[in-house]
Amino acid sequence: MRHYELLVVAKPTLNEEELQAKLSFLSDILEKNGAVIAAKNHIGSRKLAYQINKFERGIYVVYYFTAPTAAIAEVERIIRITEEFIRFMTVKFENQKEIRHWNKQVDKLTKKTPVVEQEPEIPAALAETEETEEA
Amino acid sequence: MAEKRKYARKYCKYCEAKIEYIDYKDAKILRHSLSERYKIMPRRLTGNCKRHQEMVELAIKRARHTAVIPYIIDTRKVVAVPFEQIQQ
Repeated sequence: MRHYELLVVAKPTLNEEELQAKLSFLSDILEKNGAVIAAKNHIGSRKLAYQINKFERGIYVVYYFTAPTAAIAEVERIIRITEEFIRFMTVKFENQKEIRHWNKQVDKLTKKTPVVEQEPEIPAALAETEETEEA
Repeated sequence: MAEKRKYARKYCKYCEAKIEYIDYKDAKILRHSLSERYKIMPRRLTGNCKRHQEMVELAIKRARHTAVIPYIIDTRKVVAVPFEQIQQ
């Protein structure tokens, strides 16, 4: 079992029911292939940086799960067939540091069930850089 | 040295912030290593350490694929602050 993160971008034209149906369909497939879903982050509709299939927006959903390696190929195959998902990205978390990040994300999502605005900590040094570059 | 130094003293900002893993979904962290045209800035200009530069590169490429940040900025449709529009 390895640690994975799966991001899917769904079509913005789906209504609430259709979206829930598609997401439960996806989580069913994950579980059928032996994955254990640890957390789910519903980011929601956001603007795409560029058009995908003529869509300007997309619904972002992230899954954190552990799964055997063989499951990924099958899940990706099904996502490719499913028209409602316009983009996806699976990321494998391998070494200790990456897994620590994975655990942190899962903790964050499972503790705060009512999704609070997650403002990632941006250190002051990073925020200031824009000014120094232009100077 | 007649040439004026363009950039401030360089050091790895990611090391300073003690970032262990750079998440591709977090565009704010990636912003530091991107130019105005959303190209990946070289290490010699940003001062990133090699380890973090490699992490950033991978994260930027993933972010581009998932449409979190653009591949290119259209030169014909120039917007004043493109980054904020993408945010929401």
